[in-house]
Amino acid sequence: MSGGIRVGSGKGAGGRPRTISGEKSRKRKNEQRLSKGLLVRTLFLLTVCGIVAFVILAARLYDIQIVNNSYYESRTLSGQLRETSIKASRGTIYDRNNRILAMSGPVENIFISPLEMSLTDQDSRFVAEGLSYILGVDFSSIMERIGRTSSQYQVIKHRAPSHETERVRDFISEYKLKGIHFEPATMRYYPNDSLASQILGFVGTDNSGLDGIERRLDSHLTGVDGRIIRLTNAKGTELMLAGFGDYYEAQHGNNIILTADLSIQYYIEKHLAQAIIDYDILGGAICIAMDPRTGEILAIANYPTFDPNNFLRLSDFEMERLSHIEDEDEFDEAFRNAQFRQWRNRAISDSYEPGSVFKLITFAMALEENAANMDTVFHCYGSIDVRLYDDVSSRNCWRRWGHGEMTFSTAFQNSCNVACVEMGLRITAPKFYKYIEAFGFFSSTGLDSAAEGRSLWWDRNVFLDRNNQTQLASASFGQTFRITPIQMITAAAATVNGGYLMQPYLVKQITDGDGNIIEANEPTVVRQVLSNETSALVRSIMEGVVTDGTGKNAGIRGYRIGGKTGTSENIEQLAIRAEDDNSNKDYITSFIGFAPADNPEIMILLLLDTPSHDTGIYISGGTMAAPVVGKMLADILPMSLGIMPQYTDEDIVDINIHVPRVTGRNVESAKELLENQGFRYRVIGNAELVTGQIPAPNAFVASGSEIIIYAGEDVPREQVEVPHLSGLNYVQARDALAGRGLFIRTTGATKSDSKAQVSVQSIAAGREVQFGSVVEVTLIDADAVERRTN
Amino acid sequence: MAKQENVRNINSFSEHEANIGDEGFFLWDDRELSDELSDTKVKSPGIDKPMLVLTIVILLIGLIMVLSASFARGSYTSSEPLRLFFRQFTFAITGIVLMLVVSRINSRVFSRFSMQILLISIILLVLVPIIGIRANGARRWIGLGGENGMLTFQPSEIAKLALILAFSQMACVLKEDRMKTFKFGVLPFAIITVIMVGLLRLQPHMSAMIIIMALAAVMMFAGGTQLRWFLLVIAMLAAMICGLIFFQLRSSDANISLSDMSVDTIRATADFSALGYEGRRINAWMNPDDDPLRGGFQIRQSLNAVGSGGLLGLGLGQSRQKYLYLPEEHNDYIFAIVSEELGFIGAMLVLMLFALMIVRGYWLAIHASDKFGTLVIIGITSLLALQVFLNIAVVTNLLPATGISLPFFSYGGTALWLQLIQIGIILAISREIPPPTKEKTR
Repeated sequence: MSGGIRVGSGKGAGGRPRTISGEKSRKRKNEQRLSKGLLVRTLFLLTVCGIVAFVILAARLYDIQIVNNSYYESRTLSGQLRETSIKASRGTIYDRNNRILAMSGPVENIFISPLEMSLTDQDSRFVAEGLSYILGVDFSSIMERIGRTSSQYQVIKHRAPSHETERVRDFISEYKLKGIHFEPATMRYYPNDSLASQILGFVGTDNSGLDGIERRLDSHLTGVDGRIIRLTNAKGTELMLAGFGDYYEAQHGNNIILTADLSIQYYIEKHLAQAIIDYDILGGAICIAMDPRTGEILAIANYPTFDPNNFLRLSDFEMERLSHIEDEDEFDEAFRNAQFRQWRNRAISDSYEPGSVFKLITFAMALEENAANMDTVFHCYGSIDVRLYDDVSSRNCWRRWGHGEMTFSTAFQNSCNVACVEMGLRITAPKFYKYIEAFGFFSSTGLDSAAEGRSLWWDRNVFLDRNNQTQLASASFGQTFRITPIQMITAAAATVNGGYLMQPYLVKQITDGDGNIIEANEPTVVRQVLSNETSALVRSIMEGVVTDGTGKNAGIRGYRIGGKTGTSENIEQLAIRAEDDNSNKDYITSFIGFAPADNPEIMILLLLDTPSHDTGIYISGGTMAAPVVGKMLADILPMSLGIMPQYTDEDIVDINIHVPRVTGRNVESAKELLENQGFRYRVIGNAELVTGQIPAPNAFVASGSEIIIYAGEDVPREQVEVPHLSGLNYVQARDALAGRGLFIRTTGATKSDSKAQVSVQSIAAGREVQFGSVVEVTLIDADAVERRTN
Repeated sequence: MAKQENVRNINSFSEHEANIGDEGFFLWDDRELSDELSDTKVKSPGIDKPMLVLTIVILLIGLIMVLSASFARGSYTSSEPLRLFFRQFTFAITGIVLMLVVSRINSRVFSRFSMQILLISIILLVLVPIIGIRANGARRWIGLGGENGMLTFQPSEIAKLALILAFSQMACVLKEDRMKTFKFGVLPFAIITVIMVGLLRLQPHMSAMIIIMALAAVMMFAGGTQLRWFLLVIAMLAAMICGLIFFQLRSSDANISLSDMSVDTIRATADFSALGYEGRRINAWMNPDDDPLRGGFQIRQSLNAVGSGGLLGLGLGQSRQKYLYLPEEHNDYIFAIVSEELGFIGAMLVLMLFALMIVRGYWLAIHASDKFGTLVIIGITSLLALQVFLNIAVVTNLLPATGISLPFFSYGGTALWLQLIQIGIILAISREIPPPTKEKTR
């Protein structure tokens, strides 16, 4: 009592006085503390709530935790383990001098998770508008992707540049957006744009190679993506438990070192592009440069070409050709065809009828087989009859009136068909056929690049038919069969390199990321086809073609060049003109050239497919292909191969020279300097010092040009119109230019050659240029043509 | 014999009460004192030690699990990752004090004020939809105090206790014979239950409704209501469920003939989303993998946690699912973390402790000194069992999600207080159990 706290005593009883008896009665009610019924029911509850319920729970836990443990464990881990991919960097492609042709840089793909977005209440129109604005992706296509709410991965932009991903990140953080993600990717860059595009090919959006070396060596270039596997929290942001996880390093792609030489490729493409314009080439052009000693491909160029950075796009030039098509479907089809055409490496995959270029093979065979020698004399009366069963069939020479009496080498220089047929007949069909095979014309060359095209030849039995010599006759001057350009140059290389058929190759080395060499290709001799002696003779007769024959226009002062021209009918006529229009047939003009003639280091085969008849220039290999190859070699030999010209006194008058700087000099010393360098001069003004000169210092002009020295007078700054020079000879052209204060520089045939005349000029007639500019003209020897065989 | 005993009891009580006097009764049960005063040689055994020990052990394990479970999310979302634990710890300490204080209250106090408590709790339930704190689309909480450090509680928790006390009192007053009638044995109980459930529906508070109904059933069952009424209700419920399933199957696109009916086809084709929120929960329960990111997300994550625990668990504190995967990991789904970290062994241990506590509760109920005490302990113990079962059944996907927390484990201060107060009431009643030795000697 004393320790108790009383509460509500009296008051708590309220108006209801509580008596002991009242308490007693309540107690009495409770007396039967636990009736039997209550005991049973309590025991029932005890059983149900205290035992049965827990047995059920225990059984359920046993089922989940013990029986199905592994199922839930793997399901849980698959949600908790985050695999981060480390993108393997695609290998770099180098040229032979380790200059980069294709490389990869890290970028990011931006993708969305429409499922995740659908779980938020963010305004998808707003998100789409923002992304569309930042990334320049079509709004409706983003909306459509956001609508695919069952997906968790919809790429909005592949390989977004960093300035765009940064802005997207800002956008996300500013508006607390959900469902926009980034993944690392690599971007393929081709720093030289369209240069060597058909060799390199290109990669698709997934970075897999789709064409060219990129496709051929895709497995080498790709590498193996690395992975980081780690346990993360639900947001996937943080490493949760250290030590749990796996790391697989990315294996970067291997690097490819090509045999191609970037600078050779550059010069070839430069002159090729110019030739397309100069000769209005309708069907495109093909050019291969090879080191004939090794079979290394130095350059391959095809026109039209493309930029692998943006391989779907057509060049402006090609787009212009399509611009006349108005029908949309027709345009789309033409566009697609143009795309396929620009990607196609025709140098390797297409076949053509080689025409006269092939004659060098016939001549080489004849020498090797002793069917003829350097002293053999041929007679050409314009045609020759060959056996066709019981009849004869006539094979014409391109020169209908005949070449008359010729030595072996002049027959070659003249590209005489009759001499070829005669040689073919002397070689005999079985041996001719055997040599065709030996030169590799029946098989692919084994070039480690794209899929090679197949050649097309007469069946052996037909070709060897003794009663029908027409196939042999036609084949001997390069007609009635088709070969690929790469087969042609490979065989031609064998004729000049000592007789060895080399296996051409484009991949010099494959190295791993650390620079260890994984694969290295060495020159492979397939077989020796000709003796060294025969090869030396072939070199000399080919040099004769350039010095005195149809290849004159490929000559470069200071170098010994060998070559062979060719003009063949393009059987696959472009559907431009009527089929029966015989006068305006489609031709492929070609030239194969090599230098130096005594020890060839480079050989170039150029095909110009279907020059337009509108340029006024006679369509033949000698007038069109030869000067272009000459220009290529003039750049490549000194600039790329380091072979310096060695001028004879005779050459000096023909070459172009850099104009020295005379401005600021004393007039007298200027005169002396110019004179010493082979220039003429004219002085305007009376001052002591030279105050100006045209052309500007370092301009490259023909030797003997008249340099104008200004002594005190101002150099005129006016614009002058370039005159029309085509068809003029050198002196006429020079004077026409000089009359307007312009200068001349020549390529092609020698300017001292009386028959040389201008075929094309570097600046079109009628264009306005600065007073004192230099115009390059291509001189061709009008006679240095092998007339087209009809 | 029994009669004699009763008489003796009356005597002893009357003596005891005579000592206290007429003024009323003591709030503090000082029977030990009065026993001494009344010269009784036998000492009362005091509060039930096993119950006390079990409570404290379970509470300690619960606290540790709250620490483990809440730390992960806390470290991501707040600067004080231990805040939740400390809060729970404070409530646990004060709760134990409350429990001990309550354990000293004379059980007659509960019986005396039972109807008033019921009235207050119904008033609170009425207030909830008006002044309650809105959270997740429902008003279930009432706040006390200022803006910061606001003490919130769920009147539904109080209602459960009020229902136990009131029904116990009513059953005592009505005695067994009148409990057998519909007029007294069913109607008043049903009316109170319907009022409570109706008020809870306004919040809305599904889990409290389920528990109140189940609790009312248990109390009526123990109180002596005739079994036929239960059978009737069970039959009605079964008919409703069957009707619902049948209706759903008929209305669904899949045209299933009665012969094709099986648990699997019902599972596969039933769609209860027409029933609204609860219907979607039923869908998620039957096919958690159908919609793994929305409806089925929580239960999948819970099963992942439980299932990956295995036999021995990942180790205390080593749960991975608590790293933002499992929602409510320190609350309704804390048992999933227990299973993940402590494994099947640990989960069994916890279940065993709860089972012991519940069995001990019924044991105390059987031995309580009066019918009121028996019924109150049955009510509180059954409530505990119900909550434990429903919570773990949800965590293991035996039942659809309801939102019932796990007593002594789940985070929540005032709820913990009430659980400890309820144990305090059991302890208070246990104090009045006459020692068995005394029985024998008498």
